[in-house]
Amino acid sequence: MRRNIQKIPLYFIVVVLVFIWILPVWTTFLVSFKSAEDFVNQKFYQMPTKISFLDNFKNVMQKYRLHEHFLNSLLYATVGSGIAITTASMAGFSIIRLKPRFNFLLFIIIYSGTLFPFQMYLIPMYKFFNTIGLYDTRLGMILIYAAICIPFSLFVYRGFYTTIPKEIEDAAKIDGCGPLKSFLYIFLPQSIPPTAVVALFQWTWIWNDLLFGMVLTRSREVRPIMVALASMSGYAGGVIPLIMTGVIFTSVPTILLFVLLRKFFISGMVLSISNE
Amino acid sequence: MKKKEQIVSYMFILPAFLLVFILLLIPMFQNIYYSFFEWDGLKKPVFIGFRNYSMFLSDENFLISFRNTLIWVGFTLIFPVMGGLLIAIFVRGLAFEKFFKSIFFIPLTISFVATGIIWTYMFSREYGVLNNLFNLFGIEAKVSWLTNVPLNTFSLLIAWTWQQLGVNMVLFLMGLATIPQDPIEAAIIDGANKWQTFVYITFPMLRPITTIVITMAMVNSFKAFDIIYVMTRGGPYRSSETLAVTMFRETFTLFRMGYGAAISVFLSIIVITVSAFYIKRMARKDLLYY
Repeated sequence: MRRNIQKIPLYFIVVVLVFIWILPVWTTFLVSFKSAEDFVNQKFYQMPTKISFLDNFKNVMQKYRLHEHFLNSLLYATVGSGIAITTASMAGFSIIRLKPRFNFLLFIIIYSGTLFPFQMYLIPMYKFFNTIGLYDTRLGMILIYAAICIPFSLFVYRGFYTTIPKEIEDAAKIDGCGPLKSFLYIFLPQSIPPTAVVALFQWTWIWNDLLFGMVLTRSREVRPIMVALASMSGYAGGVIPLIMTGVIFTSVPTILLFVLLRKFFISGMVLSISNE
Repeated sequence: MKKKEQIVSYMFILPAFLLVFILLLIPMFQNIYYSFFEWDGLKKPVFIGFRNYSMFLSDENFLISFRNTLIWVGFTLIFPVMGGLLIAIFVRGLAFEKFFKSIFFIPLTISFVATGIIWTYMFSREYGVLNNLFNLFGIEAKVSWLTNVPLNTFSLLIAWTWQQLGVNMVLFLMGLATIPQDPIEAAIIDGANKWQTFVYITFPMLRPITTIVITMAMVNSFKAFDIIYVMTRGGPYRSSETLAVTMFRETFTLFRMGYGAAISVFLSIIVITVSAFYIKRMARKDLLYY
C-alpha cells in the first residue's frame, strides 16, 4: 500500500513527460487535417472545421511531386540495403568460417568505413562522381548508400556467424559440401535475425538520409525523399498543413518497418547484450 | 587445393571490400590530402600546408561553431543520456509500462528531417504550439525560439532530445533487464535505501552499457547535421552551426573546399578519439549490434 502511494509522484513525472512527447505528434496530425484557412484562424488544439487531409495530400503530390521522390528513395533503400546484405553476409561468412589469411585485418579495414563522420567523404565523392559521370544518377546513389551500409552490416553478420555451431558445417564438409553450398544451405537459412536487424537499420538509414542526397544529386528525377521534404519547408514559411502532410507521408514506410520488425529490434539488441 | 580454397574465401569478401575501398576509404585519404590545399573546386588547388588548420584559430565562425558543438555534446550527455537513464528507471514496473515506453520510442521511427520540420512548427513565432501554449497559461510572450541568438541552439537541442532520448532509454532498459536481482534484494535487506542501491549496485553493474550509450551519444552529437540544417540552416548569421554544418557551408555554399576538408578532418579526429572506447570494446569481440 505504502509502495503505491510512493509511486504517485513518479506517475506524475512520467505522465507529464509523455504529454510533452505526444504533443508534437498529435499537433502534426491535427495540422495535416486542417485547411490553410483553419490553420490560420484556429488555435493549435482546435479540431478542424472540415477534414482536409485528402486535399492537402493531393496538393502535396501535385505541387511538390513527393511521390516521385518517394519512389526514388524506395529504390535506393531497397536495392542499397539489398546489396549491403548480400555482400556483407558473404564477407562475414568468409571471415568467420573460411578464415583466409588477414581475415581480421580485412574486417577492420571494411569496418573502419563506419567510424568516420560522413563529412569526411563528401568532397572527394562529389568530385569523383562528377568525373566518372555518376553525379546525379540513380546508380551512383545506390552505390554510395550500399557502401555506407556495408561496414555495419558486416559487423552484425560477423557477430552472428560466430554463434552458429561449427559441427553442422563440419559434418556437411565431410559429406562433400563446398563453401558456397554451406553458405547457401546452412548459414543463409539461419540468418533471418541478423538480416532483419540490418534491413531495419540500414533501410531506415538510407530512407532518412539528407546529406548524400543534397551533395550528390541535383535533378528532381534523382533526388531522394528527405531532400525533397527538407526543401518543402525552407527557412521561413511554406504552407504548414501541406508540409505536415508531407511529414506524415514520408514517415509511413519507416514507421511500418519498425512496427513489422519490432520483434527483431528488441531481440537483436537483447541477443547482443546477453553476449557480453 | 589449399590455394583454391584461399582464393574462394577471398572472392566472398571481395565485393564488400571493393565497394568500401573505392567509395569510402580512397575518398577518405583524398580528403586528408585536400585539406592541405586552398581550392575553390574550379581553379587549380594551391598547396598551403597546415594553413587551413591554423586558420581555425582566427576564424570566428569556426570558433562559434566549435563552441556550439561542445554545447551540443554536453547537453546531450545531460538530457538525452541521463534523462534516458532516469526514465528507464522510472518506467520500470509502472502500470502501463509498455505504453510509456512506446511513447518515448515514437520519435525514433521518424527521420531527423521530419523531426526538424515538426519542431520548426512547434517553435514558430506566430502559429507555433509552444508560444500559443504559453498564452493558454496566461503568459503573453512571443518567443523567437529559432532566431534569438543564444536561445536558438537550445531550441535545436530540445528537438534533438525529443528524438534521441528514446534510443538511450531502450538501451538502458536492456541493461537494467540483465542485472541480477539478488544483490539488490540483499542490499535492501541490509537496510540500503533506493538511492544507495542505485549508486552502489545498479549503476556500477550498468557500466558496460553506460559506456556504450555515452560513446554513441557523444559521437552522434558531434555528427548532428540534419536537424540543424532543416531548422535554422545554421543561422541566423551562422550562430547555430556546429562543425558538421560549418563544413557543409564552407564546402558547398562558399566553395572553400580545402578549408571544408580541413574541418572534416578535425571533426573526424575528435570522433575517432571519442569512439576509441567503443572500438576497444569491439576489439574484445563484444557483439553489440547497435
